Amino acid sequence: MDRLRQIAHQRAISRRDFLRAAVVAGAGSQLLSFAPLRAAIAAPAKKVVVVTFGGGARDEETFAPEGQENIPQLMNQLIPQATFCTQVVNRGILGHYVATASLATGVYETFNNFAKVAPKNPTVFEYYRKALGRPADDAWVIAPSNGFNLIGQSSGGTFAPGYGAQVILPKHLLAAALGPSAADMNGLDYFLQDNYENPLYVPPSVNQDLQLSRLDEILHLSVDDFTRHAKILSSADELSVYVMRQLMREVSPSLIWITLHDMDVAHSGAYSLYLEGIRRTDRLCGEIWNIIESEPEYKDRTTMFILPDFGRDSDFDASGNGFQHHRTGDPLSRTTWLMALGPNVRQNVTVDRPLESLDLVPTLGALMGFATPLAQGKPIGELI
Amino acid sequence: MQPTDLNANSFSRYPPQAKALAVNNLPILRRVPLSLLPLILGQIINYDWRFPAEQRDLTRQLRYLGALSSASFTDLMAPFAAVELPPEISEIDWVNQPKIFGAQLSAFLWSVNQIDNYHGAAQQYQQHLQDAVSPESPAIPRLAIVVIGQGVAQADLPIFRRLRPHGVLFTSVNPENGLPTLLGVVKTRAQQHPENYAHWYIDGGEPEAAFRSMPGVAISSYGVLAPAIVRELNLTNQYVAQTSRSGTAGPESTTAYVASITPEDLKLNRDPRDPVLEHFEADMLTEGAGTQIFSTTYVQWASRECLHRAQPVTLLARFKPRQRAATMNQLMSRDPSSQPADAEGSLVDADMAAYYTWINQNRLPGADQSRFLAWFEGHNFVVAIGPSFAQGTTADAPTNIKQILDWM
Repeated sequence: MDRLRQIAHQRAISRRDFLRAAVVAGAGSQLLSFAPLRAAIAAPAKKVVVVTFGGGARDEETFAPEGQENIPQLMNQLIPQATFCTQVVNRGILGHYVATASLATGVYETFNNFAKVAPKNPTVFEYYRKALGRPADDAWVIAPSNGFNLIGQSSGGTFAPGYGAQVILPKHLLAAALGPSAADMNGLDYFLQDNYENPLYVPPSVNQDLQLSRLDEILHLSVDDFTRHAKILSSADELSVYVMRQLMREVSPSLIWITLHDMDVAHSGAYSLYLEGIRRTDRLCGEIWNIIESEPEYKDRTTMFILPDFGRDSDFDASGNGFQHHRTGDPLSRTTWLMALGPNVRQNVTVDRPLESLDLVPTLGALMGFATPLAQGKPIGELI
Repeated sequence: MQPTDLNANSFSRYPPQAKALAVNNLPILRRVPLSLLPLILGQIINYDWRFPAEQRDLTRQLRYLGALSSASFTDLMAPFAAVELPPEISEIDWVNQPKIFGAQLSAFLWSVNQIDNYHGAAQQYQQHLQDAVSPESPAIPRLAIVVIGQGVAQADLPIFRRLRPHGVLFTSVNPENGLPTLLGVVKTRAQQHPENYAHWYIDGGEPEAAFRSMPGVAISSYGVLAPAIVRELNLTNQYVAQTSRSGTAGPESTTAYVASITPEDLKLNRDPRDPVLEHFEADMLTEGAGTQIFSTTYVQWASRECLHRAQPVTLLARFKPRQRAATMNQLMSRDPSSQPADAEGSLVDADMAAYYTWINQNRLPGADQSRFLAWFEGHNFVVAIGPSFAQGTTADAPTNIKQILDWM
């Protein structure tokens, strides 16, 4: 036991060190020396893209020395352009839907992770649209599983009813596109996997007309084009990014929230699949940034935030089983990181002080110019 | 119902030994706070099918609690007594359904942000018991052997990366007769130190032909369990279809249903019968995540649980290629033993699992004397950890597995 405790302790105290070291390695030389603000020469950022990992990723498989091989895009492409917060703590419930809802409200939501309920507290989308008078198609959520259907609009009802984000579930689009005879999916059922904590996928009761009209009227995609493209993809997250790109081109919303979920396959206990999920997520983060940089509506106007909703269990907590789950509530499962990049964000900087995941919403508010009165976090000064 | 309301009749549905244990310790159980008691009852209710080490630990734990002074008992229970439970949880039939109570308690503690405090209190409680009831060291040093990588011609990963700092990496091991040599050690140790459930062989496929039956060795294999797994998957699919039609489907109800599946439901009829092992295997398949669909997950989880629960002195865990990944629905509806395999992915899974097995072995009494060996099957790489091996070293000289075992 003593030997194990010692190893675990060493891991804990070195966590911040290797994260900082990772940033130094990725960034070159400017650690802690603030780079000049690009905002001084660029147009003010008016759009935000938030990328969350609804799968939990640990340091060991990401920013620790042995994990860096899994995240070449984050390490080599994104970190050198980013401000990187090395210590973001989530003190809430470690279930993906409730945790993502907490990220979106700035309050630790306490509902049952598997319940079909909306967040109780106002979401960032409501704050944004109400304060700035933005239309309904200016805030969107692209989410992986059926449970996220209600994340765009809080249930509170008193703050800003009707000001929520539109939520698009790519798998609903696909289910609608495939039609009721979805038995002949030609392998596309891969994308219909709902979540990795639910052993079996139960087909959602999809409003086919609504989904098809979204495909046609919002994304300007025919059923054939959509399903044809889906066939060349290999995961639900790739489908989400494809839908996101189409949404950006056709609607250009100013506030986009996308949740990637592939790495949560870790719940099956297959470490290799978990690593594959992380590598795919890393690649998709690079692709999302490239989309931002290549779309005229977004280039030089967009700040991107990337953060896992939380981590996964430590190898050394006897009540867990390491990477497989996020059930112990140990420090490793509660502590993760946040990366921000864009015209208003200093490049090549690390923030080592402890932050909370609840700080995201007030930070978005400060960045975009709206108040978040019921959110409990604080704006991250280094990012605004 | 509160703990103080317990009486001998409360345990009428318990199996015989469990009932006797509960009734004999009734005065103690009545004093345990409700936020802890069902977790203890969860151990008692399965007493008849628990391993000797678990039975010993539970009996000693209850004896210790009974011997505590009133003040010490109150102190020890104080963190649990402070937990206020809502009626919907306290009204659960926690005597007969302690698992359901545990799941609901966990959800409640998360929702009121008390899970960390409870977790801390539980760890403190366990540590207190462990310190007070000093665990018995094993009669002989423990030996855990993990065999990984069957079917992989060449590894792309640095094999045993996590284990290397703790022992010697042998890089020129003659693989000939490696497996019979390792299994032979298990057999010999079981003959020399006979004790129920003290020696284990867990295999990710069918057990090795010459070692399908070894007196004194508990053998569990994913291959032999394949029919039971298919049965479980069918039952689960039927349940989901049924609840989908009635609109009551959901992850929690499905998980609760799967956990309620019994060894009889799975037809785990060993020959000769072994109810303890049958219950263990049913637990692995119904409570483990992914153990049904991936043989690598089964071997990892069964090794972990075997070490944790049976506290064996000998364990050999052999990983074999698991089926290729697919959607959960596909994985849950097909026979996992007749699918194309993913040998390379399985090597990655098993390499991590070997590390976890070493960690779990180190949690047991006598860890400072434990021996651990992991072999990349059919190849020249072995990592060996134990008192006689220098940490973080490499040995490149030609050797063989028998020689390494002798050095242990």
